[in-house]
Order: sequence, then structure tokens, then C-alpha cells
Amino acid sequence: MSTARRTAPTYQEMLATLAGYWADYGCVIMQPHHTEVGAGTFNPATFLRCLGPEPWKAAYVEPSIRPSDGRYGENPYRFQKFWQYQVVLKPPPDDVLDVYFDSLRALGIDPLEHDVRLVEDDWEGPTLGAWGLGWEVWIDGMEVTQFTYFQQLGGLELDLVTAEITYGLERLAMYLQGRRSAFDLVWGPGVTWGEIFREAERQWSIYNFDEADVDLLTRHFEDHERECRRLLERGLPLPAYDQVLKCSHAFNVLDARGAISVTERAAYIARVRALARRVALAHVERESSAVEPEGAE
Amino acid sequence: MSTLVLEIGCEELPASACWEAEAQLPLLCRRHLGVEPAELYIGPRRLALLVRDLPDRSGDEDRRGPPERIAFDEQGKPTNAAEGFARGLGLGVEQLERRDGYVWARVEGQPLTASLPDRFGEIVHGLVFSKSMRWDESGLRFARPIRWLCVKVDDRTVETTVGRLESGGFSYGHRFTNGVVAIPEAEAYAAVLRDAGVEPEAPERRRAIVEALDRLGEWRDPQRVLDEVVHMVEQPLVLEGSYHDRFLELPLEVVETVMQSHQRYFPLGPGRFAFVANGGEPEVVVSGNEAVLEGRLEDAAFSYGRDVEIGIEAMASRLPEITFHARAGSLADKAARLAELCRLLGGGEATVEAARLAKADQTSTMVHEFPELEGLMGGVYARLAGSPEAVAAAIAEHYRPDAAGGPLPETAGGRVLAAADKLDNLTVAFALDERPTGSRDPFGLRRAAIGLCRLADEGGLAVDVRSLVERDRGLLVEQGADVTSDPSDVEDFVLERLEGLLDVPVEVVRAARAGEVSDLGAIARLARALAAALASDAFEHAYVAHDRAGRLAGRSEEAAASFDPRLAVEPAELALVEALTAVAPRIGAAVEAGAYEEALEAAAELGPPVDRFFDEVLVMAEDSAVRANRLRLLLDVRDAAGQLGDLSQIPR
Repeated sequence: MSTARRTAPTYQEMLATLAGYWADYGCVIMQPHHTEVGAGTFNPATFLRCLGPEPWKAAYVEPSIRPSDGRYGENPYRFQKFWQYQVVLKPPPDDVLDVYFDSLRALGIDPLEHDVRLVEDDWEGPTLGAWGLGWEVWIDGMEVTQFTYFQQLGGLELDLVTAEITYGLERLAMYLQGRRSAFDLVWGPGVTWGEIFREAERQWSIYNFDEADVDLLTRHFEDHERECRRLLERGLPLPAYDQVLKCSHAFNVLDARGAISVTERAAYIARVRALARRVALAHVERESSAVEPEGAE
Repeated sequence: MSTLVLEIGCEELPASACWEAEAQLPLLCRRHLGVEPAELYIGPRRLALLVRDLPDRSGDEDRRGPPERIAFDEQGKPTNAAEGFARGLGLGVEQLERRDGYVWARVEGQPLTASLPDRFGEIVHGLVFSKSMRWDESGLRFARPIRWLCVKVDDRTVETTVGRLESGGFSYGHRFTNGVVAIPEAEAYAAVLRDAGVEPEAPERRRAIVEALDRLGEWRDPQRVLDEVVHMVEQPLVLEGSYHDRFLELPLEVVETVMQSHQRYFPLGPGRFAFVANGGEPEVVVSGNEAVLEGRLEDAAFSYGRDVEIGIEAMASRLPEITFHARAGSLADKAARLAELCRLLGGGEATVEAARLAKADQTSTMVHEFPELEGLMGGVYARLAGSPEAVAAAIAEHYRPDAAGGPLPETAGGRVLAAADKLDNLTVAFALDERPTGSRDPFGLRRAAIGLCRLADEGGLAVDVRSLVERDRGLLVEQGADVTSDPSDVEDFVLERLEGLLDVPVEVVRAARAGEVSDLGAIARLARALAAALASDAFEHAYVAHDRAGRLAGRSEEAAASFDPRLAVEPAELALVEALTAVAPRIGAAVEAGAYEEALEAAAELGPPVDRFFDEVLVMAEDSAVRANRLRLLLDVRDAAGQLGDLSQIPR
């Protein structure tokens, strides 16, 4: 098996390969959003751009911040921060799966050598009021990508379906580099993933599980919720959307901190979803009035 | 006559969609083509059917038009309605026939090739999936995107359009080893695909998988993933892998759950597993899957280690923080109710202790990650904390039976705790007015009720539903739950499940429910005893006694409050009194002891005296006191036999 990976790419080479592949395909190469999100779907380049009737193709790397997934840097498979490579194709081409499989080939994964499979996985993002159908992609039993045809975002039925392709970079890298622990992944020349991030995993886990100030975060949630509503009233859905993200992150930390009971949990999620829905509506309305042809009046 | 193949080429369909299509395609084929499919080809990338002996024309059809009195006026001349109807079918009004008060038109069958495109469209649109999606601007819905359509009648390609797709005479082979393949003629479809690396027949894929697994040795499939695996591959490649010994320290169920719940592997024996791939180089594929399994086992071992370190007592101490139901308190409240119900169900110290710890594993990492291990993990953690085996076993088994024919708990304590848990789930839902309606049963209450019936019937547990529900409701109120509804109809809900569960006519179960017997298992046994005796003389006599006595006296409001022996004078009357005095306590004692045949024999002894009584005695005597007394006697007879149930519910 190691012979198959003679030329295993480093983590940063993998990122560059994917960016190059999707840029060549015609995607806009975006950058991570500037506030904490649990998945690339939350980046406005996906959530807002995939609403409405305008075609859109984009690709970008996104740090996933998931406080309750931290394991103090002790578990080689679970982290509170990891990376996803996100691609959105709106509308998806008829050969979208072949285009995706070609990206695996670009990474050095030959589907004739491996068992590459699409395994049913229906995706739901309760805080975003979003769902879609699709698969997790397995390579020799390992889930390396989530592939979803969005049907709804922000509670809105989508005019134009988007195919979302989310590569789990740690899993892919572990596979390509033949490592059993993410900490041993080679990030760049002579530097491992663990050397860069392990201590951060430890400290952030302590923060998320033990130290985060519950009162402060509870207050932040409420402040951002209020600010979101106010910004919507001022006709500013884009800044309002960032407030949704900040609410969502505050909720995630509170949840990791064990400060939210099962019942409260559902209520918090419903509050974030309600905001996301209002932002989606406001954004769609604004965009449709903005693209009206001249003289339409 | 010709042969037709229709293929809907898809992106990878979920197994559940394959099952749905498998069930619907024959019906759709019959409806739209008028014939049975000779073959079905169901798999992840294609849903296809092959029809042999396809008629060249569709059959002639009679279409009904407007009623005669509207189609023709008083002079017998055709009206606009008749002309419109005929014109719509391309006929002249003189071609209409009059029959049964309507006008009819005979529409000639069409050459099938002409209507095939439409009919094929109807079949594709006719498939309905429980989850479907859109993928392009056509708005077509299907379980996953359709990417090609292949329609051949013999060697001719039929052109049709579904959504944005146009059909052709080609298909696709295995996704990676083969590309597009031409289908030269309908009959060649399967052979062409087999040459292109695809086994299109699901039963054939299953056979190949099972054969290969058998060759590997003793394989297990506790979560039954095989049916799904059949539809996860087009060309099954069964491979064997191994994992490190150190994971054998994990409980076997944990290891097997890790293998099956996500990866769909088959456990082979200590340290070995099998799996089904769709291709690739075996060495590479095995090595990759081994790494995945070890990673998952590592993760499970990490969670397990953390749980063990925390321990079941600390887990139990967190139960007050975990909501069981938003309006019915925490899991700690639930545990307290379970303990009391266990006592009432005759559980001993160990069972009550098990009730206290039963829900502790809900706070564990393992159950959070593998919900299907609930209960089982609690048992493991209790054992590790030094709980007696009876306690650990009861915790481990208390979600059983968790499927229609699933096994019951093996230990007495497990059965008691399982019954308590189900009773409490039912009582809480009913008390909060969240009864299941129609197909909505989010808490699985029908399953809980059936489980309860089986625990009582097969498990021999005494369960007096009415009194247990009443006590549980009381506990809920004491705990401050938001009780908004009287849950006493839990009993009816449970007994209705019993009607469906027993292999006994429904009326017999209803008759048994109406007797003196309140214990669930006893009702089941009584119903069986009555059903077994339906054809016997004993049943006939008992039935007659109950029925004749009840039919006359039951309608009267004149009956005396109690029987006065001094007013009984006729010999037949005295004979009946004598029989009743002897028999009534025997019926009661036998019912009490669960000796239902004996009770039935005793009740049968009332038959002849009742018949004689009706032959020789005038019930409706002129003396009102005598009349009231005789009516009372008959009611007493009815009630004595009625200890066996309301026999009048059973149709004769």
C-alpha cells in the first residue's frame, strides 16, 4: 500500500491541488469566512449564494469549528477545529459525479485501484433550515466526502438546485499519506499537523468544555439575536447573516460546555433557524429587486 | 409479439429506494403495458424491467360517455354532449353504442410502438419514493437523479423524453471499469451488462454474496445489513479483513456494532470481518478497510474508556439534568417511577436497583455515539462497577423486545424492568395527551404495547395494566408533571394490540377482556382456552347458560337486588339454584387459579338446568316479587358464567 503512496501529497499540496482543479473547472476560488462556522455550508458563499436563481460555482477551504468534537488533543480522529474543502455547483452539470471523481484522480486516487462508493446520506442542517439528499463518498470504506443536492436552505425551496461537495481533508490526507493519526499528517515540508495544532486542540478543549463563561455567552447569543433582527429591519441582510453565525457559534460553545439541557437545545436551534430563515427571505427579496431589468418599474 | 426492456439509469440509489421500486414496478408494468414483467433488474444505478410477449397493439377499450338521456334528445337525436364525446375520441356520433343507460365508444387498440413513449413516461413518473428530490430545472422528482434512459423493443430503440432526458439504445456498465455500452436488442440487456462488469439481478448478487461469505466461515449479521448491502454494489467483491487483538477487550456487542452500524461489515469470528466491495484491487481495498475499522474501534475504545472511568454511579447522578420529556420531568424522575412500578410488578431488590441505574447510560459517550447500544452499555458499566449479575442483566435487557419478533429478556428482572419501562412510556404519553394517531407514533407506543403483551403472555409476567397505569399517573402528578389527560385508556390501547397479537378470533379476545380477569397474560390464556373450546359441548353449554340467562334478564330492570331462596318453589327453579350454588364458586376458584378449561367445564354444568328452567318455569310470573326473584336468579347465572368473559360477544 505504501508503494501506492510514493508521491503522497502534503496537506498543503492537497489544498493547492483541489483549488487548482476547481479553478480550472471554472469555479470562483473563495477564502474562509471570517467568523466561526461549523461547516463550509455556513459560509455566505454557500448559504446565501445558493439561494435565488443566479448560477454560481465556487470552491474554498473552510475551518470547521465544532466545540463539542474536541478531545483535548488525545483522540487522533476528533478535533474541535478541522478543515473542509467546499465546492458548490449551481446548477450541477449532468456529469457532476464524473467531475468529482476526476478531482479524486487529481489527488492521486485511482478509482480502479480503490473501492470508491456513494453511500446514501441525507443531510440536514437544522440551524439553517436546510436539507438535501446525497451520499457520503467512501474510499475503501473511509468516508472522505459529503455530496449533497440541496433542496432547501433557510426553509426556502430552492429554484435552482446546488450540488455541494465537501471534502473531509483530514480523512483524505490520512488516507493519502497512510497515517493512522491526524497528528502525524505532514502539513508542509517537515512540519506535522500535530506540531501546529495539537496544543491548540488541548487549550480549546479546556476552554470549550471547562472554561467558557456561560453567562457571557448566553448574553452574547441574545445580543447577536437582537442585532440580527435590527439589521434586518434596516434592510441589511448580509451583516445580519453574520449575526446568525455568531449566534450559532455561541450556541455550539454553550452546548459543549454542557450548559444547555435537551429541551433548551431544541429551543436554541429553533431560534437560530428562525433568524436564518428571515435572512434568507430578506436576501432573496433584495437580490430579485436588484436584478430587475432597467425600466421594469 | 416482441420483447421490451426499459431501463432507468440513476446516480446511486439508496437501498430503500430500490425496495420501493421493486415493489412498484410490476404494478406499473401491468397498469401501463397490460402485461407482467418477465424480469426485474433492481440495483443502485439502474431500475429496469424486461417484458416478453409484448403485444403489438394495446387491447381495444370501451369508454363510457354521458348518460343516454343527456346524449340524445326527446326525438332521439344526438345532442352536443354526444357529439363532443365522439369527436374527442376521433369517432363519428353514429359509431356510439347505447348500453346500460349510457353511451359507449369502442376505441381501437393502438400499435404499442406509437404509445410506448407515453407509457414509459407514465411508468417513470408513477414510481413514488418516500424521499425524493429535484436536480434540474425540469422539476422531475426521483429518489436520486436519473441520468439516462434506455428503451428497446427487440432491436429497435424507442425514443421518449422524461424531464430533460431523451432515451436511447445504450446503457452504462460498472461505474469505473466500464463505460457506455450499446444494447443491441432487448433480450441481450442482462448479458451486455454482465460483460460490462454489472450483475443486474439483485437475487443473483445476494446469492453471490452469501456464497462467498459462507466460504469465509461463520459469518454473522446481527443488525441485518445484508439486504442493504445487496443494493450497495453492482459487482459484489466479498473480502476478508482482520483487526488487532487489543480490541477484543471491548465488549463483543460494541465491536460488532462498530462494524455493522456504519460500515456494514459482517463479523466473522474474533479478530476477523468480511465486507462487500464494488471493485478495486483486493489488497489495497482490504488494507484501507482495516485501517477504517481500526480507526473506528480506536474511537469507540476511547469513548468506552472515558465512560468506564466515569462509572455508572456518576452517570446516574447526572440523570436529574437530563430531560425525559419536556412536560414530564427528568430521567431521574423516570427512574423513580420505574423503581415503584418494578415493586408493583413483583420485582425484587435487584430489579429495583436496576431501575435506579437503567437510564444511566443515556449520559454515556458510547450511547451518544451508538444509540442502538442503549441498555446494553448500562449493563456493561454496571457489571464493571460490581453490580450483581441480576442487576446488570436487567439493565442490559430492558429495551427488549425491540422488534416485532425480537427476543424477550432472558432474566426475570429484565422482564419486570422491561414491562415497567414500556408501561411508563405509555402512561406518560397518554397522560400528556400525546396518544399515537393514525400512522403517527413518534414514541413507538404501539411497539411498546405489543412488547408489554408479549412480556405478559410469553414471559409469564403478571401485569395488571389498569392499576399500574393508575399508580404511575399518581407518581407523575406527585412529581409535578404537566398531566393534561386521563391515561386510563392505556389499558384499551394495550388490549387492542393483544387482539392483533394472538392467533385467536378477535371476538374471543374481546369476550375474554370483558370478564373478571384483569391480568394481561391471563386474558391471553383465557382467550386461547375459549378459542380452543369453541367447538366443544362444554363451551356450547356454558355459552347457552350465559346467553339465554343474560338475554332475557339483562334487558329487564325489574330484577330483585338479591336472590331470596324462599320465593323459589318450582322444581326446575330449585334445580337451577342448586346447580348455581355448587358451580359458581368452582368457576370463580378455577378462573382465579387460571384453570380455564376447568372453569369452562364447571360453567357448562349450568347449561342443562338453564334449559330446563326455561322449559318449565314462567319467568314473567304474575306475582311481581316472584318475577323479580327469577330475573335475579338468571342474572346470577349469567354473572357466574360471565366470570369467563362476555361470551355473548362471540358470534355463534
